[in-house]
Amino acid sequence: MRDEVKSPGFAAGALAGVPIALGYFPIAFSFGVAAVRVGLTGWEATFLSLVIYAGASQFLALALVAGGAPVLVAAFTLIAMNLRHLLYGPALMKQAGPEAGRRHAWAWAWGLTDEVFGQALGALARGQRFSEAWMFGLGLAAYASWVGGTALGAWAGGGALEAYPALNAGLGFMLSALFLALLLSILTRAALPAIAVAVLATVAGTLLGSGTAGILAGMIGGALAGVLRK
Amino acid sequence: MNWDLVLLAAMAGAANWAFRALPVLLMRGEARPGGVVARFLAATGPAAIATLFIASVLPQLWPAPRDLMPLTAGVLATVAGFWPRRSVVAGTLAGAAAYALAVWMTG
Repeated sequence: MRDEVKSPGFAAGALAGVPIALGYFPIAFSFGVAAVRVGLTGWEATFLSLVIYAGASQFLALALVAGGAPVLVAAFTLIAMNLRHLLYGPALMKQAGPEAGRRHAWAWAWGLTDEVFGQALGALARGQRFSEAWMFGLGLAAYASWVGGTALGAWAGGGALEAYPALNAGLGFMLSALFLALLLSILTRAALPAIAVAVLATVAGTLLGSGTAGILAGMIGGALAGVLRK
Repeated sequence: MNWDLVLLAAMAGAANWAFRALPVLLMRGEARPGGVVARFLAATGPAAIATLFIASVLPQLWPAPRDLMPLTAGVLATVAGFWPRRSVVAGTLAGAAAYALAVWMTG
């Protein structure tokens, strides 16, 4: 019966990526503006988004470059920030099931950011079949918005969105709203202990350490709570 | 082009690709159902999404609360937009629109 259900394609994935793209755009735009302000050219700012493709890391890269940090120190700092991404692929493929294709994962998995992972996992949890074409569409919509937003921000300057503070604020809340909606979509009694521990660990890690420490503590603490659950 | 910047981006980008793609490409064996690895991976998704939501709103609550009215409106509208059809897109757009409206109304 399950095999008779048609796998969603590239266009459906791109459509599912629209909320992420809308949320990414103002952040990428801000990154482009900030990069030019610390002395990078528009090409250099766009290159960073194209090659690194990780929001918080890129803003930190600007601070490190502007502060004159040695390249190796800066690189290892950025790499350590994204260790959490190691968990996303296995968690997604576990939900996708043993028949899920991964032949083209070398390409689509590049787009496995926090938001893309959340959206894909939510879709699978709601019963959608896994498809590599859908993952391509989802990832590409988000990636195009990120790179395009950076380029526009670098070349247009900071005034464009600042003239519309309510729109700017609404777009800024888009990713928080997306995470909340995704959380509601996968909310089950069985997932509650992992969610509760993740929330507490994130708050504790952030208040006692840093934002990055909070994210790592929340993800690992929540996942361990799932292990301990009978 | 600043070559230190190119090197920095190349190293960070290569690591990001490895973190995202290699576990998918190399993880061939299925975790034993009900085993420790399977339970860890099953809990990773909900834990990650809850973590990212809290991490995204925490800066508005601590150390000094700010824009509480738009945040409340955005959260409530996301929940209200999601429930009728359990639509992630409707919830997300409703939340962002309510947040923008609240910012506009509170000036």
